[in-house]
Amino acid sequence: MGKLMPLVEKEVKDLLRDPRIYIGLIIPIIMLPLMGFLLSTAMTSTMEAAMKEFNIALVDYDESDASEDLATILSQVGFNIYPIHSESLDKAVREARVLGFKALLVIPKGFSQNLLNFGRSEIYVYTIIEKVGIGSASVYSAIDNALNKISEILSVQLISKLAPQVEPEAVRNPLNVTGYTVIKDRVIKAPPEALFGQLLMGYGIMVPVVLMVLAITMTQISATATAVENEEKTLETLLTFPVARYKILLAKLIGSSLVALIGGLVFTVGFFFYYEGIFTMPGLTEGTVDLAQALPLPPPEAYIILAVSLILSILFITSLGVVIGALSSDVRMASSLVGVVVVPIIIPSLLIMYWDLSTLPLLLQLLVYALPPSYPMIIAREMITSAIPIEAVYGIPYSAALTLFVMYVTSKLFAPEKLLTLQYRLRLRRRRRVEGLE
Amino acid sequence: MDVKDLVKRFGALTALDGVSFTVGEGEIFGLVGPNGAGKTTMLRIIATLLLPTSGSVKVFGYDVTREADKVRPLISYLAEDSGTYRNLSGYEYLSIVAKIYFSSKVDAEEAVEEAVKISGLEDRIEDKMKTYSKGMKRRIQMARALMTKPKLAILDEPTAGLDVFHSQYLRGVVKDYVKSEGGSVILSSHNMLEVEYLCSRVAFIHKGRIVVEGEPQTLKDRYNALNLEETFMRVIEWAS
Repeated sequence: MGKLMPLVEKEVKDLLRDPRIYIGLIIPIIMLPLMGFLLSTAMTSTMEAAMKEFNIALVDYDESDASEDLATILSQVGFNIYPIHSESLDKAVREARVLGFKALLVIPKGFSQNLLNFGRSEIYVYTIIEKVGIGSASVYSAIDNALNKISEILSVQLISKLAPQVEPEAVRNPLNVTGYTVIKDRVIKAPPEALFGQLLMGYGIMVPVVLMVLAITMTQISATATAVENEEKTLETLLTFPVARYKILLAKLIGSSLVALIGGLVFTVGFFFYYEGIFTMPGLTEGTVDLAQALPLPPPEAYIILAVSLILSILFITSLGVVIGALSSDVRMASSLVGVVVVPIIIPSLLIMYWDLSTLPLLLQLLVYALPPSYPMIIAREMITSAIPIEAVYGIPYSAALTLFVMYVTSKLFAPEKLLTLQYRLRLRRRRRVEGLE
Repeated sequence: MDVKDLVKRFGALTALDGVSFTVGEGEIFGLVGPNGAGKTTMLRIIATLLLPTSGSVKVFGYDVTREADKVRPLISYLAEDSGTYRNLSGYEYLSIVAKIYFSSKVDAEEAVEEAVKISGLEDRIEDKMKTYSKGMKRRIQMARALMTKPKLAILDEPTAGLDVFHSQYLRGVVKDYVKSEGGSVILSSHNMLEVEYLCSRVAFIHKGRIVVEGEPQTLKDRYNALNLEETFMRVIEWAS
C-alpha cells in the first residue's frame, strides 16, 4: 500500500494537469448546459416572436353575421385580422404573401347557412411559410388551436339549440377516459405520455448516455496515461523501481478511474443542465407527474448489484485502456486504437437506449451481454421501473471473470520483454500498411 | 556485478553473443561501441527490463532474472533519452520517487533535498518539467537516479545530445557520487572524451561481442594510440 499511493498521486496529478485531459473534462460542463440553454431560448423566443405579431389575412366570401363573429373571436384571442378583398383565391394568396401575412383564412360562401342547417361548415387555412423553422409550425398550430376552440364553442351552442335539456359535453365527448400507468406494484394516476419525459429521457437515455460517455472517457484516459509513458520513455524507468508490477498497474487503473470519474461527474452535471434546458420549454412540462415521488425506491440490493457491476465495468474498461496504451508507442497510436475499441461499447449502449433487449435477435443480445459495461446500463435503467433482469444478475460473475482475465493479461504485458516486442511488431505492421496504401 | 556468457536474441537477430565481464565496487565501467552493437540491450538486461536468452547476470550476488525484486532496490537505471512527467514539477517527481524508495518520511525528505542539490536546478525545481530544456530534464533524471544511493547506477548515454555545460556538470555529478558514496557505475557512451575522463575500465563492444576490455591508458598503450577514440577505431577495424 505504501508504494501504491505515491504512484496513484503521480497518475492523478499528471493526468489532471494534462491539457489533453482537463480540456476534455471541462468542455461538457460548459458546452452541454450552454447547448440546452441556447436551444431552449432559441425555441421559446422563436415561438414567442411568431405569436407576437400574428397577422392573418381574411377573405370573407360569406359576409354573414356568423363569419363576422368568427373574425371577432379570433381577434379576441390575440390574432390581428386584416380583411382583404380579392377577386379570386389565387390573387388573395398572392396578396397575403406580398403583404407579409403569416396565414390566409378563407370563409367560403354558405358558411353561416350550413351552420344554421346543422351541416358542416368549411374554412380554408393557408399557412404562408417564408422560412423553415419552429416559428412556421407554431403559426399553423396556433390557428388550428383557435379554430378548434371556436368549433367547440359552436358545437356547444348548436347542441344547446337542438336539445336544450342535454348536457352538450356529454354529446361532444360521450367517453370520459382517465389514464393510469402501472409501474412495478404502483398505480400512478397519469397516462404514460405524462411520464414520457422522465421515463424515456431520464432513465432510458440519460443513464446509458452518461455511462457510455464515462466508459469512453475511461478508455481514453487510461490509454493516454499509459501511451504517454511509452512516448516519454518513462515506463521503462518506472519498471526498474522496486515496486511490484501489479502495483504499477493498479496505480494506473486507480488513477485513470479517479480522473475519469471526475470527468463522468462533470459530464453528468452538464448533461443534467442540458436536459433541464430542453425540458423546461413551455408545453413540455405540462401534465407531467413527479415519477421519483410516485414510484417506490429500488431495494438496497439493487444498488449493491449496480455498484458491483459499475466497479467491474470500470476495472474492465481501464484495463482495456492500459492494454491499448501499453501496446502503443505514442499517444497518437493509442487514440487511433481507442477509436476502434470503443465501437463495441457504443453499439450495445445504443441498443440498450433504444430497444427492448428481449426483442432483439440473439446475436445482438449476445453482443450486449458480452461486455461488462452493458450491465450497469441495464441495471440502472431497469431498477427504477421493473425488477433487474436475471441475465444482468448472472452477468456479474461473468463480468468479474472477464475483468480478472483482462487485468491478468494487462499485468503480464507490463513486462518490458513482451511490451517492447509487441510494440515493435505493431509499429512494423502499421508501417507495412502505410507503405501498402502508398 | 558479474556477467557470464550472456546471449540475447530477438528472433533471428543476435544482439548479445556470449558477453562476459565484471564490475567491481566503486568502479566506473564504460561500454563503448557503434550504434546497434548491443550496449542498450546489455544495460536493459542488467536493469531487469529484458530477459537474457542464456547466460547470467548477477548484481551483488543476486540473479537479475530469478531475483529481480532483490536486484531492483540496489540499482538505478537512467535510460537513453528518458523523458519526464511533463505536468509534474521537478520537486514533485523527486518526492514521488523518494516515497517509493524510502519507507521513512525523514529519509525520503533527506533524499529529495540531496537530489535537489545534485540537480543544481535551484528555483526551477518547482517548475513543471515540460518547461525544462533537454539538459535540465537530464539533470533531474540523474538526480533521481543517484538520490536513492544505488549500489549500481546504470547510465545509458548519460550526456547524449547535451551541450558542453550540462555534459560537464553531469560528469562531475557521476564522479562525485562514486567518490562520496562508493557505488559502482556502468555506463554506455559514444563520447570517448567522457569515457576516458570518467571510467576506470572500458569494454569495446562490437556486433554483440566484447572485443577488448581494460583500463583506458592500458588500451591506448596496447594499440599505440594517442587517445581512446583512435584506440576504438583501430580495435573496431581489426574486429571487422
